[in-house]
Order: sequence, then structure tokens, then C-alpha cells
Amino acid sequence: MTLAPQHGRALIVVGALASVFMALAFRLFDLHVLQHKELSAMAQANREQVVHRLGRRGSILDAGGNLLANSLSVHIVTADATITAPHAAEIAEKLAPALKMDVESLTQKLSGQSRYVRLNPRVKLDEDAVQQIRAMKLKGIYFEDQFVRSYPNGPLASHVIGFVDAEQKGVQGIEASMDDYLQGQAGYEVVERDRKGREIRALRTEDIGPQDGLNVVLTVNQVIEHIAEQELDKAMQEFRPQAGVIIVSRPATGEILAMSSRPTFDPTDMAATDADARRNRCISDVAEPGSTFKIVVCSGALNEGIVTLADQFDCENGAFLYAGRVLHDAHPFGVLSVEEILFHSSNIGAAKVGLRMGPSRLYEYVRRYGFGHKTGIDLPGEVSGIAHPLARWNSLSITRIPMGHEIAVTPLQMLMAMNTIANNGVRMKPMIVKSVVTEDGAPVLQYRPQAVGPVITARTCELMKTALRKVVGPEGTAPKAGLGGFDVAGKTGTAQKIENGQYVRKYYSSFVGFFPASNPQISILVSLDDPVGNVYYGGSVAGPVFRAVAEKVAEYLGMEPQTPPTEVAKVS
Amino acid sequence: MKRNRKREPLRLGTVTKSLVICACVAISGVGYVWQKNAIYRLGDEIKKREALLSSAQKRNLMLAAQLAHLESPSELETKCQEYNLSLVAPKESQVVRLYEPGPEWDVQMASTPLPSRLPAQQQAKLQLRNPQARALAQ
Repeated sequence: MTLAPQHGRALIVVGALASVFMALAFRLFDLHVLQHKELSAMAQANREQVVHRLGRRGSILDAGGNLLANSLSVHIVTADATITAPHAAEIAEKLAPALKMDVESLTQKLSGQSRYVRLNPRVKLDEDAVQQIRAMKLKGIYFEDQFVRSYPNGPLASHVIGFVDAEQKGVQGIEASMDDYLQGQAGYEVVERDRKGREIRALRTEDIGPQDGLNVVLTVNQVIEHIAEQELDKAMQEFRPQAGVIIVSRPATGEILAMSSRPTFDPTDMAATDADARRNRCISDVAEPGSTFKIVVCSGALNEGIVTLADQFDCENGAFLYAGRVLHDAHPFGVLSVEEILFHSSNIGAAKVGLRMGPSRLYEYVRRYGFGHKTGIDLPGEVSGIAHPLARWNSLSITRIPMGHEIAVTPLQMLMAMNTIANNGVRMKPMIVKSVVTEDGAPVLQYRPQAVGPVITARTCELMKTALRKVVGPEGTAPKAGLGGFDVAGKTGTAQKIENGQYVRKYYSSFVGFFPASNPQISILVSLDDPVGNVYYGGSVAGPVFRAVAEKVAEYLGMEPQTPPTEVAKVS
Repeated sequence: MKRNRKREPLRLGTVTKSLVICACVAISGVGYVWQKNAIYRLGDEIKKREALLSSAQKRNLMLAAQLAHLESPSELETKCQEYNLSLVAPKESQVVRLYEPGPEWDVQMASTPLPSRLPAQQQAKLQLRNPQARALAQ
């Protein structure tokens, strides 16, 4: 039996079609089954995109919740020049005012060949400006989100707050020390985009939101900081010193209410500052404290019962020969009591108290007050100061250390020593961070005042306060530091500077004190490095600055004066 | 073949079943498409609202910074000088301090006389609005 010719042709056609369909079927099987894994991954990669979202850096607030630093979201304008090129001039004319650029250079950028051009990375646009540009509906113009750090108060408390680098990482101050808390955590989204590159929200498969950083609340009060900085600026103008510092604190808790240092810098304009101005001199600069250090030897001797306030010492009429060297007083004194040694600030008197005390006991009090150790404040760059061990003392040390020579301290260490006397003999750790909170104010970490330990007894403190009150009296070295309504206790310091290993006629003028002496609420340290002119004594230079700061701080805090007001209040 | 076909009437049940099945399939199809559409539409709305929220949050941060700047002591001082407001801090003699009675103070008040610094009128007012202290005093 033979097939009809039409049947043979039909078979050929059917066979060919079957082969084609078989080939197609195999190819489909190959694509969908055999190569499924690789191809589906490729398809997914084409469709999906991982979008990283930055977490916002936390804010820094003052004790009253006022904003000292926060992060702002700004936009950088970018362009796809292959799209913008045909209308470059037209687009440039519209964009130029918003970007603060001239039309010519903008046109040049928009008419290039690159698919990614940053039009002006230096101009950070806020939300309003972006909305305006978006409303123009310019093709090929895009926006990039970026966070920038904002310091609304400009240079206020810049040494405490610090600054961040281009990567938004803390470099100095609280920005650096609390960086772990402040830094936000980045999140990401896995999104699918349509033909025009727009996200199809319904197909978002993963959405891990970014976590904003925590807010750090400081003990610093922005108004007190402003008062301190204003008065420091006035002193810088009047006495033209090389540098100056003012620290305001609460002796009972160790809270730092203000910490200002000059020269200073503006964290909003880092390009214009030099490294010297960025240094927080309150914690990173050491100097011989001079007479303010007499509080250590006198309180130590009183605490040990070696002397009483009434014990008398011969001050040798201003020149005391010891170990082959003559020690001088600024003014010649005869016989002075310990109390008088403090308020007249006799070097010879202090040296003789030190001699009676002996090196080991003197050294013990130097260490007890915390000299030679970091205070532990939550700020980077703190130094320990220099307090030589006994083994390195020479025969003169016992007469020089009591008057604040042969020892180097930071302004903060000196203030904390004075705070110990104000705080009934208990040394506190300085506190600059009050708490770490979430965006809605819920506390995550609460800092408490920390006592380092007792240094002297409360009885000794009362004796010291009695003597230190007289420093601001008419007979003392700082009558200009006295306040109208409050009794002040304090100590002046005028330390000669050392240059090239030699004492020169340049001075550190300082005053450190607290008020009200009977119930200390506020302590202040003022120190000016090398005031220009004939006036350089601590009482004359730093004393009036102390008074000005103290008056304003008392007024701001609403502290009730101990002496009643003289005028009759008129209330309408 | 035509001649063998019998003309049978359509069975209602069969037709109904067919219609129901068709309707179900059609409703399922339309419903699926409608739901898909709704998902995409809602997705778009969520996206718009997310953008709005993000924009509002960014604006909020910017305004917080602006407010902080305007409230900064130096800015307030500048404005005072600019507008020549002649604002000065009150002298201590111009301040009248009032004591806020609290629970501890109530007990203290009961046993000790009011601070002599307070005017008699104020003392009387304090006594009146402090029933606990009044009772303890009696």
C-alpha cells in the first residue's frame, strides 16, 4: 500500500511543525526549568533595586531642651546631561537663581555628555526650594538627599559641642564623645520600578526603615553659656590676652553649666578656622595654677590638724631663702596667720605651711584633689596635667608646689578642686551630659552626679570658706570679685609663664570662686593667658570678670540675694 | 446526520449552572483585576503620603533649627537692639518673690509662722487656701 502524494506532503508538514514545536517546547523547558534559577535571579535584578536610606544623626540639646545641634535634610541637584543638552540654555536660566550660579557655567554643565552631573554640590537646597524646582517639571533634573549638621547658635559652646566631618562622624566635643549614641542607623528598601523608573509601591518587598540617632541632653545652659562667652569676649577686648577660659558649674553635682574658651571657632564655617582655635583649653591646656593652688596646701594642713587658721608664720618681709634660692612675695609681709596667708596670697606663707606639712602629706592631698589625673569629663582631648611623683621632687619642690609652681593643671581640674571645698569636702566628677533620650524625649540613659570621694572634712571646708570669703573683702587680693547680694569665697592666681624653660614677665591671671559661700550654688573659674598691660594680677583682671558673670548668672537663675534689696519694690 | 439530530428543549438547570459558572469566573476575573488595581492605587497613595510625611519631617527639622536660631540669646539680644526695645533685667529690689506652698511646706507652715517678709494680706491669702495647714495650725 502506498500513500497518496497529498498524504506524504501532509506528513512532512506535520513532521516539520512537530519538530518546531518540540524545539520550542524544549527551549521553554530549558528556560523555565533547567535555567530557572539563574534567569529568575537576573530578571529579579533587572526589576528590583535596593535603595539605602540614611538614618538622621541625633540632636544635641542644652539642659533646658534648647537645640544646640541637629541634622537637616538637604538636597543636591543633579542632571542627566544627555537629556538636558538640547534645552540646556532654557533649563539653566530657570535653575540659576535657585542654585546661585551663573547661567553660563550652568549651561555648560547641562550640555555635556555625562549622565550624572552634580550641578552645584556646595549649595544645599531646603525643602521649599526643591518644591519650587520640582514645580518647573524640568526633564533630566534630579535630586539627591543628604544630611548636613546645623548649629543654630553658631559659635556658642562650639568647644563643648564640637563638630562633624563630611561623613557626619563626630570629630570633636560631644559630637565625638557621644558619637555612638548620636549616629543613626541606615535602613534599606527593595523596590521595583516601572518603565519610567518610578517605584511601584505595591511591589516593595522589603522595607527596613532607618533608625534616627538618639538625642544628647547636656548640663550646659545656653543662656549661662552666652553670659560666660559674652563676658569672656569683653575681657578679651579689654585685656587682649592670648587666650581665655570661663567655666561655670554647680559644685554640689559637678554639672558644667558653661564652658567657654577663646580663641573660638564657628562649626558652621569650619573652613575658616584653624586647629589652635578648635582646642578646648578648659580641658586640654595645662599651666601652673599659681596662687589658686594654695587652697590645696592650706586645706590639707587644716584637715590634718597640722595648722589652725590662727596659726602664725613669719613671711620674712617678702624674701625667704630656702635651699639656696630666694622665694619672693608680691608684697612684703611680716607675720601672717594661715587665714591671712590665704587672703593676702603670701607665697612664703604657703611655702612654710607646705614645709610644716611635709612632702608626702602634701603630695597625698595633691592626688586626693585629683591633680595629675583626668577628671573623666565626657569630652575628648582631656589631659591629666602634671603632678610629679615624690621621687621626682627636688629640694625646692616642697616650697614651690604650695604656691602653684612645679605643677601643671587644667582649668577644669582647678575648678573641681575649688568645688570640693564648696561641696563639704566631697570631690565630684564633672558632668557635661545629663541624659540620652529618644526623639520623643523618652530617656535611654540618665547620668547621675558621681562623687569621686571625700578629700577633706566638712569642718575643714567651713574653715576654708571663712578664709576664702576674705579674699574678696577689702583686705583680700580680689575685692573686685565681690558681689552685692551674695557672699563670695574664692582665690586669685597670678602665675608667671614659662618660655624656653625660663620664667618670663607674662602671666596667667585667674580667679576661681563660688557663691553664696554659706550654701554654694554656683562656682566659676576665669583664667586669662597673658593679659596685655600693667594690670595682670588675677584679682584685678579675672576678678571683675568673675563678678560680671556671677551677677548675671544669679540674676538669670533667680537666686535670692542674701542681703535684702535696698530699694522698695514698686508693683503696679 | 442532520436528520438524526433531535430538537431538545434547553434544560433550565444546565443553563443556570452554566451561567453561574460563567458569572463566577467573570466575577473572579474582574474581582482579581479590581483588587490588583486597588492594591496598586493604594500603593501609589501610600507612596504619596510617605513622600508628604518625609517632606513634612524634613521641613520640621528645618523649622526647629530656625526656631532655635531665633530663640538663641545672641539673636534675641540683636533683635532687642535692632528694635530699640530698651529691655533691661529687673533690679532685685523690683522683684517680689512669692512662695509656692507645697505639701512639705504646708506642714512647716503649720508649726512655724509665715515668713515675716510676706505682706499681711498675702499671709492671710495663703492661710485661707491652705486648709491642711489651717487645720494643723488649729
